[in-house]
Amino acid sequence: MRFMPSVCAGAAGRMRRRDFVALAGAAMAWTLPARAQQSAMPIIGYLGSESPGPYASRLRAFRDGLAEAGFVEGRNLAIEYRWAEGQYRQLPALATDLVNRQVTVIVAPGGAEVALAAKSATTTIPIVFEMGGDPIALGVVDSLSRPGGNLTGVSSLSVEVSRKRLEFMHELLPTARSFAVAVNPTSPTSSSQMKNLQAAADSLGLELHVLTASAEQEFDGMFRAVSQTQAGGLVFSSDPYFAYRSQRLAVLAAQHAVPAVTQSRDFPIAGGLMSYGGDFEQSHRHAGNYAGRIIKGEKPSDLPVQRVTKVEMFINLKAAGALRLSFPPSLLSSADGVIE
Amino acid sequence: MPHSPDAPRTSLFRKYFLALFAAVALPLLIAGGSEAWFGYHDQRARLNDLLDAEARGAAAKIQDFMEGIRDQLGWMVQLPWSENTDERRRLDALRLLRQVPAVVSLRLIDAAGKERLFVSRIGLNRVESGEDHSANPAVAGARSGRVWFGPVTFYGGSEPFMTVSVAGNRSAVGVAVAEVNLKFIWDVISAIRVGRTGEAFVLDQPGRLVAHPDISLVLRADEAATQPLQALRAAILARPGQAITGQDIARNSVLAAMAPIPGVDWSVIVKQPVTEAFRRINAALWRTGVLLIAGTVLAAVLAYWLTQRMVGPIRLLEEGVAQIGAGQFDHRISLGTGDEFERLATRFNEMAAELAVSQERSERISRLRRFLAPQVAELVDRTGDDSVLDGRRVEVVVVFCDLRGFTAFSAQAEPETVMGVLGEYYGAIEAVVSVHGATLMGFSGDGAMVLVNAPVSCPDPALRAVSMASDMQMSVQKHLVGWRTRGHQLGFGVGLAMGPATVGRIGSEGRLDYAAIGNVTNLASRLCASARDSEILIDRAAARAVGSSVPLVELDPRSLKGFDQPVPVFAVVFGIGH
Repeated sequence: MRFMPSVCAGAAGRMRRRDFVALAGAAMAWTLPARAQQSAMPIIGYLGSESPGPYASRLRAFRDGLAEAGFVEGRNLAIEYRWAEGQYRQLPALATDLVNRQVTVIVAPGGAEVALAAKSATTTIPIVFEMGGDPIALGVVDSLSRPGGNLTGVSSLSVEVSRKRLEFMHELLPTARSFAVAVNPTSPTSSSQMKNLQAAADSLGLELHVLTASAEQEFDGMFRAVSQTQAGGLVFSSDPYFAYRSQRLAVLAAQHAVPAVTQSRDFPIAGGLMSYGGDFEQSHRHAGNYAGRIIKGEKPSDLPVQRVTKVEMFINLKAAGALRLSFPPSLLSSADGVIE
Repeated sequence: MPHSPDAPRTSLFRKYFLALFAAVALPLLIAGGSEAWFGYHDQRARLNDLLDAEARGAAAKIQDFMEGIRDQLGWMVQLPWSENTDERRRLDALRLLRQVPAVVSLRLIDAAGKERLFVSRIGLNRVESGEDHSANPAVAGARSGRVWFGPVTFYGGSEPFMTVSVAGNRSAVGVAVAEVNLKFIWDVISAIRVGRTGEAFVLDQPGRLVAHPDISLVLRADEAATQPLQALRAAILARPGQAITGQDIARNSVLAAMAPIPGVDWSVIVKQPVTEAFRRINAALWRTGVLLIAGTVLAAVLAYWLTQRMVGPIRLLEEGVAQIGAGQFDHRISLGTGDEFERLATRFNEMAAELAVSQERSERISRLRRFLAPQVAELVDRTGDDSVLDGRRVEVVVVFCDLRGFTAFSAQAEPETVMGVLGEYYGAIEAVVSVHGATLMGFSGDGAMVLVNAPVSCPDPALRAVSMASDMQMSVQKHLVGWRTRGHQLGFGVGLAMGPATVGRIGSEGRLDYAAIGNVTNLASRLCASARDSEILIDRAAARAVGSSVPLVELDPRSLKGFDQPVPVFAVVFGIGH
């Protein structure tokens, strides 16, 4: 039986590159061996919005969570990956593909778009989501304690704490009266975050310049705009599209000498100035744990949505030095990680 | 074959088997049973103590967690508030958030009940907002009791939160109010392991689940689902200090104990699956049971074996005795048990051997009776000793007697008459011989031979023989008178002699005789032949032995057949005075 997963993984790889509709019949044919295999080894359908590269650290945490529940990929579990490669419009089709593969459980990490794509693809196959926003407000579940239906998952506080990023930026640059805010208009959380940020700016007496970017090509223009608006710095709203491109953002921020703060610790680690957001390692680990428990037979409706309450702050002193900035003691003492 | 005795009402085998079995099995069962009983109670008490200790340990850990937060908050209420913004205190508050992950937000209230500082992980921080919190129950509670733990609330109907407030030692230092995310107790509660799979959980005062190793149970905040846990707590409260068996959320049977967490008024309950908790007890009970069964079987086998060993020989003895009783004296009971049974069998064998000897002897004696005087026969019979009949040389008196004219009489008379005469004659002789304790050696037609002093010796044999001969003459002469009247011309003569002779049994087992061999027999026979009717002739030796006690008349020596010289002969004078 050991060769089976690799056979299927190869099949999945081939299928991904082809047109789904044309291959619907073939996919149906594939379900036969897949079903036969199901009894022997459960399959997780992993729906990723990006490519394996940016997901590497998340996948590691996810596998840790699976291991907590007693599952190891390749040994007693197979995982079928579907990657949208940043093309979020592809997500529904990929989700449907996984549904047709009759996987045991679909894991939809990395934001509301992924979760919603999976949700619309099936009402029977259990789905475990992972997101930074409020799953109730985003219409993913009706209740945290009793999610109902076939969905449950993990939510972090990343979306909710985007205003704190503005506060920290203000603390770092107390003299700046205006800040630029980066928003992905395609994100389902963008409007709530904007409202949130605007309220925070009002209470702090700050002015906001909203900059939008929903594709990588727009990043450069966005950073250039920051310098033009005389804003003190750039505050990124929480969005997986930004989070998975922390490397690129860090490079651009350094290039344009823009003080910036994002949700993901990947950003300061890659040379960015600062981050504040939910601990994705925890959220992905919990998602793995839940996927394992569902494979073991627990119903997703019995598993309440978990909130990862840990919010972490990372700062990069080197980046601050390059920007000729120095962190005040309040930020230094609050930071969970300081990169020197 | 003698009739076999009736079958016994109860068999010895059954009796002994039951007795031996009971003797072994009963103590075993009593010992095993009491051991199991006491073992169970000891183990139960040990479990009780163990779970109780676990519960108290768990309670102490949760209390440490809560007290850790309280102590951290205590740092925030040590210095009195000034009018100005206190930057240092803001840093301390931020550091507290960093230090205590469970604290989600912290609010500092001054003596007037105004909010001076608010820091949060999620919301915006505020400085000097001046918001009035004097009516806040957390503030009032801390002011009255230094520390105040609020009720557990479930954020979004899911996540357990609690407000903790701490007041300083003076009202001027104000109150610190913290929102605590109780999910962080998970770190503590999930680290508690009772036994191998046992765990602990925390219920608040109304019975809501505050902490459980499966965090999803807490987050579900389902009071209906936690009903079994509340029932468990109620059961423990009903029997304080006891570990009780009940059901957990998954309706598994568990053994549970409880300890209270003071301050917050929560209860920590530790539970262990009953199967695990009682595994050792059950294993011990099983072990005891198996040992008892094995012991009982062994007792049965042992009892069977012992009974067989006891009853087998008894049956063998019974059969042997039956055979011996049936007259098979050569039967031997062979038993090699080496104990009393073997001794008993040996005794039986000896008995059989002696019975055989005794039977042989009694047969021999009955044969001897024919020629022994009844007294002698009786003596031999009584003593069982026939050694008197052994051959020896002894001084005896041999008496011969016969009828005169019997040959002519027997030729003329009818056989019935002859037999009648002989019968009377024999009777008379036998009576006399018997009276005198002599030995009747046998009849031969009208003659008879009698021996005195053998095989039983007697004093003064010669005198006794002479006296007997006289009696014979007198008794037979009386008969002769009768016979003569019937025309039978018969007479009776007696001869006796004294001298040494070899006496003893002669002959084979089938035909045994007692004989006296020697010259004296011959002489007595010759003297008898030479005696006339009514005459008793004796030889010199007898005459000398008699002496003067009997009147004798010495006759002329007579030439007797077989004797070279004429033999001196004496006649006994009898009947004088009669």
